[in-house]
Amino acid sequence: MTALAVEQQALLDALFTRPPVGSSENAINLIAAYTYYTGARGQKVYINNGFSLAERTLLAAYPVMAQLLGEDSFALLARDFWLAHPPVRGDLAHWGAALGDFVQHNALLAGEPYLGDVARVEWALHRSASAADRDAQPATFALLSTVEPDALTLQLASGVFVLASAYPVASIITAHLNNSPTLEEVGRKLRAGSGECAVVWRQGFKPQMAPCTSAQAGFMQALLSGASLLSALERADEFDFNQWLPVAVQCGLVLGARPIDPTQRISDHESA
Amino acid sequence: MFCADPDLPRADLTQVGIGWRHPHYGELLATRPDLAFLEVHSENFFAEGGAALEVLRQGRAQYPVSLHGVGLSLGSAVGVDEWHLDQLQRLVAQIEPVRVSDHACFARGHIHAPGGLQPVHASDLLPVPFSSEALDVMCANVQRVQDRLKRPISVENLSAYIAWQSSNMGEPEFLASLAHRTGCGLLVDVNNIYVNALNDRLQGVAGDPVQRCTDWLDAIPAAAVTEMHLAGHADCGDIVIDDHGSRVCDPVWSVYRHAVSRFGAAPTLIEWDTDVPALDVLLGEAAKSRQICREVLA
Repeated sequence: MTALAVEQQALLDALFTRPPVGSSENAINLIAAYTYYTGARGQKVYINNGFSLAERTLLAAYPVMAQLLGEDSFALLARDFWLAHPPVRGDLAHWGAALGDFVQHNALLAGEPYLGDVARVEWALHRSASAADRDAQPATFALLSTVEPDALTLQLASGVFVLASAYPVASIITAHLNNSPTLEEVGRKLRAGSGECAVVWRQGFKPQMAPCTSAQAGFMQALLSGASLLSALERADEFDFNQWLPVAVQCGLVLGARPIDPTQRISDHESA
Repeated sequence: MFCADPDLPRADLTQVGIGWRHPHYGELLATRPDLAFLEVHSENFFAEGGAALEVLRQGRAQYPVSLHGVGLSLGSAVGVDEWHLDQLQRLVAQIEPVRVSDHACFARGHIHAPGGLQPVHASDLLPVPFSSEALDVMCANVQRVQDRLKRPISVENLSAYIAWQSSNMGEPEFLASLAHRTGCGLLVDVNNIYVNALNDRLQGVAGDPVQRCTDWLDAIPAAAVTEMHLAGHADCGDIVIDDHGSRVCDPVWSVYRHAVSRFGAAPTLIEWDTDVPALDVLLGEAAKSRQICREVLA
């Protein structure tokens, strides 16, 4: 390593060392050999910048998690996550994807096992907001009556994500974002062990989330994996396509239909 | 090598812009105040699509836009992130900004982790030593960015809260060499110079902070300066922090006056990123900057 690389690694180590500086001299000592007088106090500025940034960034992506945990606990979680999973890109909109797994494996949060799935759905909402813009192509729905269903698929909206959860994850999120259902109703669903599937997509520029049936979830998962319409229908039991499609088109979840190429059809059949 | 911003319209004495942040997206588009340009943080618009990017496109339709980055990590010994460059290149192609800039800092590198070395981007503006080695690294990184974007960028001086023992030249000399060797422009943040001078004084460095700032400015090659930044800072007692959370203070206006006399009508940006106030407050600061330009350059 070059001398510069050694210096930079020493500072980065100091900023991401546990436990946070302020309660430890370890991090300060890490770069004491390389820096002048302002080292200790200045280092605290950078550490606090990082923690503050972590809280703001995660709060923007995980507003329901923040409500569920409360301000102080969420701040501690953000700091812990910052040190355990530091960013690797210069765009913090990409930082935070691992929070779902992080909370699921956090012993302190073991009593709230639904938090992992709540975080996963919130992350999908966050990412869908910046997904590529995609316009509806209503004319392409004519393909549904002219092309065999094994030769076409549906074009879903930007940022579609489907999750089947053992917890009432969709209700938890809408209860906190839209006050519906009530928290009492969500509590009843949790105590009853009711699971829910959730679908996330973007309607225009607005990220959306709604509960869906497990059949609808399975159908959309198949489409997301590149299956033909026929193959996706075969994988979804008790799914009323004709009832689902108009609603899905109206809310912007399905944008159109498109043919799939023959090579995709072959692999589709092989994988079905 | 590129020439630093050869088309800079120096005849315009009032090229003042503001940092365009989320609380003002709608109001600014609706009221269209008289501003020379808008500045946004490049990384906030790296998305492939979505509302934020659409708002920026609408802003660009009405104003020149300056793309100011905080994440290129131009001083990193491990180099510039190819992914980051891809995103920036795409954004530059879409927005056709009047200027592209970032900081003379590092953020990328590796940390020791249980499984070995782990890559990290600290998402901060960490200082580099003012050394020959750091200069070589930054020149190579700046050149790589300019080659990719096919245009010169501007590089901004930092507020730094640590100082490296390995520095063997002054900051102005470091930046002047960077501009000379790469053809990049220099973005002079007047508040950052003052914050550094205040922190130096807290550490017992002798000399009047304003005088130290004007000495700093006098050591910068005027022809390389493509933009100036003005912002507020927070005095925490034992350290002064560049938080962009208040009005520009009187001593910084005083240093700015000297900067305008040195650098002419280089475009000036009013930055406010923390506790963003009403748009009128920013426009008031912009008007004050414009007035100083007129007085100094009359």
